[in-house]
Amino acid sequence: MALDALNLTVAPGEIFCLLGQNGAGKTTTINLFLGFLQPTSGQALINGLNVAEHPQETKQFLAYLPETVMLYANLTGLENLDFFASLAGFTLSRDELRSLLSRAGLQAEAHTRRLASYSKGMRQKVGIAIALAKQAKVLLLDEPTSGLDPKASNEFSDLLTQLSADGTAILMATHDIFRSKEVGTHIGIMRAGHLVETLPAADLTANELEAIYLQTV
Amino acid sequence: MIHLAFKNFIRARGIRAGLILLLTAGVVSLLIGRQFLNRQTQAVSDVRAAQQTDFTRNIAIHQDELGLLLYYLKFSLVNTSLPISGLSMGQRDINPSIQSVTIRALESQRYDADLTNPANLLLGNLDFSFVLIYLFPLLLIACCYNLVSDERESGTWKIVVVQSPNILSAIYRLYAIRVGTLLALLALLFLLAIPLLRLPPNNTLAAFVGLSVLYVLFWATVCFWITSLRKSSSVNALLLVSIWLGLLVLLPTLVNTYVIARYPTPEALETTLAARKGYHEKWDTNKRQTMQAFFGHYPQFQSIPAPKLAFDWPWYYAMQQVGDDEASRAASALRQKVGQRETVSRQLAQFIPPLHAQLQLNELARSGLGNQLRFQEATGRFHEKLRLHFYQRMFTDTPVKAENWNRFDVQTFRDEAPVSGLAGLLPLLVFTGLFAGLGWLNFRKTAEMA
Repeated sequence: MALDALNLTVAPGEIFCLLGQNGAGKTTTINLFLGFLQPTSGQALINGLNVAEHPQETKQFLAYLPETVMLYANLTGLENLDFFASLAGFTLSRDELRSLLSRAGLQAEAHTRRLASYSKGMRQKVGIAIALAKQAKVLLLDEPTSGLDPKASNEFSDLLTQLSADGTAILMATHDIFRSKEVGTHIGIMRAGHLVETLPAADLTANELEAIYLQTV
Repeated sequence: MIHLAFKNFIRARGIRAGLILLLTAGVVSLLIGRQFLNRQTQAVSDVRAAQQTDFTRNIAIHQDELGLLLYYLKFSLVNTSLPISGLSMGQRDINPSIQSVTIRALESQRYDADLTNPANLLLGNLDFSFVLIYLFPLLLIACCYNLVSDERESGTWKIVVVQSPNILSAIYRLYAIRVGTLLALLALLFLLAIPLLRLPPNNTLAAFVGLSVLYVLFWATVCFWITSLRKSSSVNALLLVSIWLGLLVLLPTLVNTYVIARYPTPEALETTLAARKGYHEKWDTNKRQTMQAFFGHYPQFQSIPAPKLAFDWPWYYAMQQVGDDEASRAASALRQKVGQRETVSRQLAQFIPPLHAQLQLNELARSGLGNQLRFQEATGRFHEKLRLHFYQRMFTDTPVKAENWNRFDVQTFRDEAPVSGLAGLLPLLVFTGLFAGLGWLNFRKTAEMA
């Protein structure tokens, strides 16, 4: 069993960081919210709607950023963003698209290059722009900063803080203890499918968090 | 959005090369079709010219003896080649489209064929129907085998699923782009074919185009179904190529082997032997007996006096006639068997869409076995008419000059047998609907899965 008696809630404006070793069930938790997995018991709710029963509706509230963003290699960054934004029903002008990419931290000269030439970090930024374009109420992030350089990672944290200030609920699986302390409102630590600890981030220093993490896992 | 999806498709490595290759093969096939039609036209005008010079020369030499003259004169019947047969040559490249017969025994002349290049026969012609039936599905498979599966493998599909409120329409779009591109290529080839082969815009062309489009759609739904099974891209490729091989090579070969084994034609040899023996034996048979056999067939000529000399023409042609008569049982059995082969092949082909499409295209282009059999029957009637006409003249000692030879121009056979238009589309429609339905059912369940 991948998850057992897991109970967590992310309110609007909160950033919930899930910590845990590989295989602890972080990605599984996110996949439950995405509807890629059906729970054998219990339920995942988005905006009060059961994901398993209303997959179409709940997806409209969601944006998702996987660990490795794979998009269409034959399209440019702009074209990818345009395509995925229109999939979600948004028709954006070229300027809007460019400003989203810049907001996600992608340098302007890369916007019109094909994705095949992008580094992992650059692809990640296009993924962030796609998530931003959807203006989703819920953001599900699966190790989003893996592959980003420290500066980009920092910019990304600022972006998350901004989004949460605007009322977005964010669930993020990560291995980055310090980043989670810095950006998160809540920290959850998972072990073998259980959510072992849930802590408010404000009450802890990064060192305390690391100590708790190491004790727990 | 669809233009971006199209860009993504057309920019993929190998796709443009594949499309250009298919277009080139298509254009080459049209040029081959044009060459074929030109050759047919040339052959007809050659035969027409030859018949005229031949007639004049022979009449000049043998003006005293009608029987001897008719020994030499060849009358030609042409099986009209429709311009559309340039798209689907069928059996026209191995069976003669012109039969030239004297009024002597028919059976020995029936299978006299044109000279053909045996190497050509081995490979078959690269006509348009080959490009359509063999190559179009291959490129379609190359375009579609990894749809959805490669996005699942790379992880893009997760983002697509999360972004798209209606994932099935995203899948339809993927297919529409690829199938649309191939149909556009098909349309381009038809647009080129119309002036190149001077195709008249008629029902036959419409049916031909309709069948071609439906055939491409059939393969599209096969790809749709296979990719809906949620296997990996490489498994999809393997399955699709196996289906291609099975439907285009294996099953038709099996059907052919079965049909040949089920309806053997020992009558082919029997006919040849019976016709030859029937005639040659008569040299040593009592002449009166031969004439009696002949009168049995044509009682209207009973007034012909019994042969007195060692050789006379009525007796000679009676010998020929009796040769045909004695072979007639085997000959009609042979025709019946070949007809049965055709019928059974067509029935079995209804379950093998590519074979059905090929037979149906040949039927529309009047280049299939059915047309060949009808042409042979027409040759029989043509021969019979000539024979009766000249028996009459010969047995009443009409002089050569009394005949108006100008009226014996080359005759033309037009195949007017009805072609099943809509019914011919039915098997393809059924299979296309079946696979589209199966694919739809699968995708409805699995499309959302990452």
